[in-house]
Amino acid sequence: MKRQESILGRLMRSLALVSATGLFLLLVFIWVEYQISILHFADLARLRRSAYELLEHIGLPMVLLAIPTVLAGRWAIRRGVQPLEEAAARINAASGEARGVRVDASTLPVETVPFADAVNRLLDRVDRAAAAHEAFAADIAHELRTPLTLLSLELDGLDDPRAEAMRADVAAMRRLIDQLMLLAQIDAEAAAHLPPDDVDLVEVAGDVVARMAPAALADGKVLELRGERAGTIRGRRESVAAALRNLVENALRVTDAGAPVVILADRAAELAVRDGGPGLSAARLHEMTQRLSRADHASANGAGLGLAIVSRIMAAHGGRLAADEGKRELRLIFAKS
Amino acid sequence: MARLLIIEDNTRLAKRIAEGLDQRGYRCDHVASLADADAALGTDMFDAMIVDLGLPDGDGLAWLRARPPGGEPPALILTARDGLEDRINGLDAGADDYLVKPFALDELAARLRAMLRRPGRRAGTVLQVGEIFYDSSRRTAHVGGRALDLTRREADLLELLLRQAGQVVRRRAMESALYRFDEAVTPNAIEASVSRLRRKLDEAGAHGQLHTVRGVGYLLKDVP
Repeated sequence: MKRQESILGRLMRSLALVSATGLFLLLVFIWVEYQISILHFADLARLRRSAYELLEHIGLPMVLLAIPTVLAGRWAIRRGVQPLEEAAARINAASGEARGVRVDASTLPVETVPFADAVNRLLDRVDRAAAAHEAFAADIAHELRTPLTLLSLELDGLDDPRAEAMRADVAAMRRLIDQLMLLAQIDAEAAAHLPPDDVDLVEVAGDVVARMAPAALADGKVLELRGERAGTIRGRRESVAAALRNLVENALRVTDAGAPVVILADRAAELAVRDGGPGLSAARLHEMTQRLSRADHASANGAGLGLAIVSRIMAAHGGRLAADEGKRELRLIFAKS
Repeated sequence: MARLLIIEDNTRLAKRIAEGLDQRGYRCDHVASLADADAALGTDMFDAMIVDLGLPDGDGLAWLRARPPGGEPPALILTARDGLEDRINGLDAGADDYLVKPFALDELAARLRAMLRRPGRRAGTVLQVGEIFYDSSRRTAHVGGRALDLTRREADLLELLLRQAGQVVRRRAMESALYRFDEAVTPNAIEASVSRLRRKLDEAGAHGQLHTVRGVGYLLKDVP
């Protein structure tokens, strides 16, 4: 493989070449000017004197000139490259979903501006592609809602026993659409850099439980909120509520009628959901939250997608989604404010 | 019989909604644009309206916002938009409730019932959920003909639960509705009142309708 060249290395080689050529030309000039003949070299004393003179009048000045030149060259290159390094660090530091990251070409050396402009155009294309992707997902979900409503209303009027199964299918499709819309929303919010608010976790948990309890009760399931020590975090209230709602939905699905689903708000900057299901290992949770990019075959009800969304919301809040298999808990752990 | 105005540009959808609500005891009129809605509201009285947000001649949200505050009739927004903040925007615009497509007719009917029960609406002074009747002007209640002997606080509690039947009433909301500022609320006071009310309802024959959502509040099950 060809070794990559540095600008400094190239400068050093150029300087060495300039010095060597200059030295040679000077020697030729002196040779001609002083009519030095071969006889010269026979007399050792004269030769030494000549060599000494050459060293003093040519060698020394050249060395004295070369040292500051090399130092100045190094300095100029370092200074010139530094803005590029800073720009690269800024691009690297931008989080996965962040939009609008650009290189500020005005801080860069003029020679690199065309390159920076090209990078910016590329970043612009990436942003536009991501936005189009999100808008597409949201549009599809949006457009599907009206025909799905018609379907569900037609089914309402049907007395056939098979209508019940079809109603369940419509409900599953609705859930999937909800999840896709939510996903698009989270990305759009992350992109918009909305300022965080103070979010009272106990209040959010109470709200989510109050909203979901009637439907849970209709299915013979019991929702319960315990503890009020979760306190306040910095974040987006509706996103936090969506994350908790997803966990509660999953918990209700795996819990038998009559058994409680408990939302715990008894630890600082943390909400947990305890269900009557078999529990989820940390490894399985990790696997399920990685399913965003592919179709979720393992769970037809969209549980995998839901957990992936929760995990993304938590990441956007500087927190994480954790599983406690023994306690059958899924925990939303936020950054303490 | 409550009269509803459906403002929806998808005619098939509007017809299905009207059919379903007809069976559930509502009389429905349908218009397909905001201009027609203005005309209908100008000539007729409606108890509530169902508003689709994306209409051909404008945005339903802006239209709702332009109504005078406390506008009549109450509005329920029907929308395919389901953004995190959309619900809040809808309620801010003066809508009384918000339902995301797709929905079941039973859900829509339940929301309409709850909306028409809210105070200040012309739904009469008698509140009814299933067999439970409550006359809010005379503050008397009966279950299937059997009168309930309620204290003042229990009567207030029952009215609060009836007005929001089918929804969880938060304990904090109960405290501020049932107690004056200067009254000290002991932690168990609400709980005690609720359990006394529940016993009286059970004895009168309204079994299992008043539920506790632990840590949050109470819910009176909605029965059409």
